Amino acid sequence: MDPFYAALSFYRRLKYEECAAVCTELLEKSPYDQAVWTLKMKAVTEQVYVDDIEAEEEGIAEALMDNDTMAQVARPGTSLRTPSTEKGGPNQGLRPRTQTGRPLSGVVRPATQSGRPGTMEQALRTPRTARTARPVTSQSARSVRLGTASMLTESGGPFIQLSRLNLGKYAAQGNIAKPLFEYIFYHENDIRHAMELAVQATQACQFKDWWWKVQLGKCYFTLGLIRDAEQQFRSALKQNQKVEIFLRLARVYIRLDQPLSALDVCKTGLEYFPGEVTLTTEIARLFEGLNNIPTSIKYYRDVLKEDSTHVEAIACIGMQHFYTDQPEISLRFYRRLLQMGIYNAELFNNLGLCCFYAQQYDMTLTCFEQALSLASEEAVADVWYNIAHVAIGVGDCNLAMQCLRLCLSADSNHASAYNNLGMLEMRLGHRDQARAFFQAAGSLAPYLFEPHHNYAKLAEEMGDLQTSYIVIQKALQAYPSHVSSQELLQKLQKHFAFM
Amino acid sequence: MAVPIFTFSLNQKLLPGRVTIGKYDGTHSCLTAATTADKVLVHSPHRHLGLAVGRVVPSDTNKELALLNINQSVLSVCAGNLNVAEERDVLVVGTPTNLLAYDVENNTDIFYEEAGCISAVVTIGKLGSLPNPLAIAGGNCSLQGFDYKGNDPFWTVTGDNVCSLALMDFDHDGENELIVGSEDFEIRVFKEDNIINEQTETETVTTLAALGSSKFGYGLANGTVGIYEKLQRLWRVKSKNRAVSVYGYDLNGDGVEELITGWSNGKIDARSSRTGEVIFKDNLNHSIAGIVEGDYRLSGKNDLICCSVEGEVRGYNLSRQVTMRSSISAGSVTVETDAIRDLFTKKQALLLELRNYEGNNQFSEISAGDMGQQLAAANQHVGIIPAQTRLQTGVAINMGTEQKPPHVEISLSTNNETVIAAVMVFAEGIFEGETHVLHPKPSEVSSRLDVALYPPRDVPVDIHIKIAMWINQNFLLLTDYEVEGDLNTTFLSLRDNVEVTLSMDSNGQMSVITHNMALAGDIIQSLATFLNLQELQVVTANFPEEQEKIGELLKNISALQDVRLRLGAEMADHSGLIRSLVVRAEDARLLDDMKSMRKWYLELNDVNTDLIRGYNIRCKNHQELLDALKQLNVIIQKAAQLRVGKYKTSVVNLCRIALKNNNLNSLVKILKTGEA
Repeated sequence: MDPFYAALSFYRRLKYEECAAVCTELLEKSPYDQAVWTLKMKAVTEQVYVDDIEAEEEGIAEALMDNDTMAQVARPGTSLRTPSTEKGGPNQGLRPRTQTGRPLSGVVRPATQSGRPGTMEQALRTPRTARTARPVTSQSARSVRLGTASMLTESGGPFIQLSRLNLGKYAAQGNIAKPLFEYIFYHENDIRHAMELAVQATQACQFKDWWWKVQLGKCYFTLGLIRDAEQQFRSALKQNQKVEIFLRLARVYIRLDQPLSALDVCKTGLEYFPGEVTLTTEIARLFEGLNNIPTSIKYYRDVLKEDSTHVEAIACIGMQHFYTDQPEISLRFYRRLLQMGIYNAELFNNLGLCCFYAQQYDMTLTCFEQALSLASEEAVADVWYNIAHVAIGVGDCNLAMQCLRLCLSADSNHASAYNNLGMLEMRLGHRDQARAFFQAAGSLAPYLFEPHHNYAKLAEEMGDLQTSYIVIQKALQAYPSHVSSQELLQKLQKHFAFM
Repeated sequence: MAVPIFTFSLNQKLLPGRVTIGKYDGTHSCLTAATTADKVLVHSPHRHLGLAVGRVVPSDTNKELALLNINQSVLSVCAGNLNVAEERDVLVVGTPTNLLAYDVENNTDIFYEEAGCISAVVTIGKLGSLPNPLAIAGGNCSLQGFDYKGNDPFWTVTGDNVCSLALMDFDHDGENELIVGSEDFEIRVFKEDNIINEQTETETVTTLAALGSSKFGYGLANGTVGIYEKLQRLWRVKSKNRAVSVYGYDLNGDGVEELITGWSNGKIDARSSRTGEVIFKDNLNHSIAGIVEGDYRLSGKNDLICCSVEGEVRGYNLSRQVTMRSSISAGSVTVETDAIRDLFTKKQALLLELRNYEGNNQFSEISAGDMGQQLAAANQHVGIIPAQTRLQTGVAINMGTEQKPPHVEISLSTNNETVIAAVMVFAEGIFEGETHVLHPKPSEVSSRLDVALYPPRDVPVDIHIKIAMWINQNFLLLTDYEVEGDLNTTFLSLRDNVEVTLSMDSNGQMSVITHNMALAGDIIQSLATFLNLQELQVVTANFPEEQEKIGELLKNISALQDVRLRLGAEMADHSGLIRSLVVRAEDARLLDDMKSMRKWYLELNDVNTDLIRGYNIRCKNHQELLDALKQLNVIIQKAAQLRVGKYKTSVVNLCRIALKNNNLNSLVKILKTGEA
């Protein structure tokens, strides 16, 4: 068989490594064969190719040092940073919040958990827990995590020496320029060279090729030149409407913190592609980010109508049902996920919780056992935490305490576990220990209102009114409409006024 | 009279001239201003709490102050309604490279357009017969109007950088005209693409304000403010301070808007639009940043709001009583005071003259009997000019010698032995400033003096053209009699010693031969006005130098843009590096790893130096690019000047299309023939 045909066949069968190997051999014989060269580029790129729309994440440096957003204090409901107060959704007491003040999401996506840190110190300390590792800059985001190919040492030097490449020559050749760009962008992660190529290539085709505009926009976006990226995407959209461009433009607006503009873009996209799943998902995520859970769920349902195996949509709807006190329905959604072949600790954990609250006790413990056997280091703490919930539910305080301690041994920064442990200690009358636990929880997760509230209550009982007064204000900061906290504050204020 | 009804401080430093007010939610006015930190401040006191009517309480929490990050220096802000379908105002911000329309209420961009060049001034409103309101940005010799979709249906060029804009119905046809003040001291009135009026002022026109009934107020960089009604200047005053902002507001409730002026020394005054009489004044502690009008107390009426650069805000309106009194005084009393003032000045002048005569007499009596020669000598010492002295003046054109460039000469001589010790020429637009003082050396004092004038601007051309017109007039008369006469006249332009040849053959074809495109344009324009031509298409205009220049310019511009792009990418790359270095260094600091922290910071320092170097290069590049664009616009404007009427606008539009497509050949052709 002709080795080049073999290489092509490997490529088509997604055997990229073999394909690249054959190409390398061919290139040794005839170093100037452009077809082989291009094929090798494509094969090597495919090996490291990732869906960079899904994997996109803002780095620490961008989050802290860039001011791409227009409004610093936008009207509530028009910004992802100042989420609106709930609109008919479940309140904070029922559905826990993440650090950003948004309800937990059904799935973990980039940037759903880590919030916008206030200071550099906070930003650097948070990801020390390993599970929320954030990239330093968005340019390094993917490369650090996936170990960019350019970092790997290759025998006989790198495949293409970018600095020696005559970009102008290749930019004019459309069939080589595109794979070359992707190689530089994805494989080498050398944005500057990729951009130079893209600039020359768009000029070579007289700004008539939308593809190059999108690539140029991608480069600008990665470099942090958001406005230039916006222009490129917009101009590309005028020439050709593609789902990818709509999504990327929406991401530009999300970076600019203009969720309503992003929604607008997605909706325009839906006019061209009615029922498009990725666009609908993006809208649902945006509403979730805006704290508008009911609308978000509506869009997730739309997604499910088009694609009944959409994991994110199922998980989010299931989660919403769970926190709106319908664990039975939630159970159905999670079981659907199980049927689809998802088999991990998180799912079994959720199933176990649903079973417990739906009063199917026989299934509860088996689910948790399954979850524990599947759980990785990181997830095991959460599983133990939830088992503690079950134990509390059945009134077995000893078991609950043991579970919580196991949870803390797996993850010593689990704030909710500290809080619950404190609560249990308080019931046993160990007030000093309880206070220590509450303090620990409060300092680990200032965004939770429970530890503050509990600590304030405890302090008030112990007669330490000053501390109680200070701490209850923190609780109200995290959850302004919490009735019990408000009452306590009023009581304290009255007391102080009386004195 | 008017008293401040509220005053508060924004606690932010504002930039002068960049203040506006908008109803972003459709009902509540929000004061909006550019701050010194490249941010735009939106003050919305009515957003959160329903305040008691009549009081504006600045909050301590600063919640009502929202800052918008622009990340570029803010050159202009303007709020207005762009989308007719929505009853809300949109904030338009002009930056050195872009024009941004932003919906404050919804935190969304409406458009973000590259305005080609600096958007130094922005105004919003309907223009001419265009259906949608436009955000009109003026800058580097060009004017561009965007609608809410980001399209630009309006684009034209002007003679120089635009400094001020105003929209008003100038000719009472129910449609708005655009008034443009620019750096070449001109105030032009655009009716869509056509210039319908042009006025020359004495300095850069920094601010314009539309007043009712085709009046508009203007302020110049030298401290002059005044009012035009149509083509006629009603009055003007000059101050040593600079007028930062002028605004039309009916302060005394007589139904006629007064001209409110905010000065650079913090003074605010209101002058009657008819007479220029000051009817109200107040002082702020710092220079005025801007004057706007808005309902800031939710009282249903618009108050006058003045802001100073230090963020002090004062609101004024007038109580009814005062309105009554002032309306009376506006009637009969003003006439009387006017008369009295006139008479008083006359009296002063007469007294002065009388005193002069008396002095002369006295002196004559003392020196009676002496010879006339001695008298004159004595006169020199005492400084008295004999009563019968006459001054003779003459204007001549001097073609210049080797030492002296060509100039216009005014020769002055007296009819007796009185010497001219100093000459003070008072005129506008010929010199920088208004007066030109000439002191001959004491040894050269004589009774005759030549004043050489080097007009910096178009005046020589004007003088020249007047002569040309005169000859044309004569010639036209001539052709009436003898049809077969070819005219061939050659002039010499004073400005750069370029020959101008006007020739006309028997079948009415006329050719103007000169190397100077601007001069040819001026000749054609004045000819057209003189002959009352509505439309004139020049068949061929051949200016090889200009064409060459335009080719070079285009090449230059594209090269500069390439470099700019590369520099931009480099800078972004560097800043990315800097970011990650900062994070790494901080990380090292938190871990108490001083060694690596030092390493990171050293590296950071190197990258930073690189970045600054790159920035300086970029600045220079940007300046060059702007200059090139400006020259290009000027050439297009000159080419347009060669045509009259609709051909003129079509040249501008065609040039623009050619520029968009980067088509050099078609551009040259358009300049040549006026057609694509």
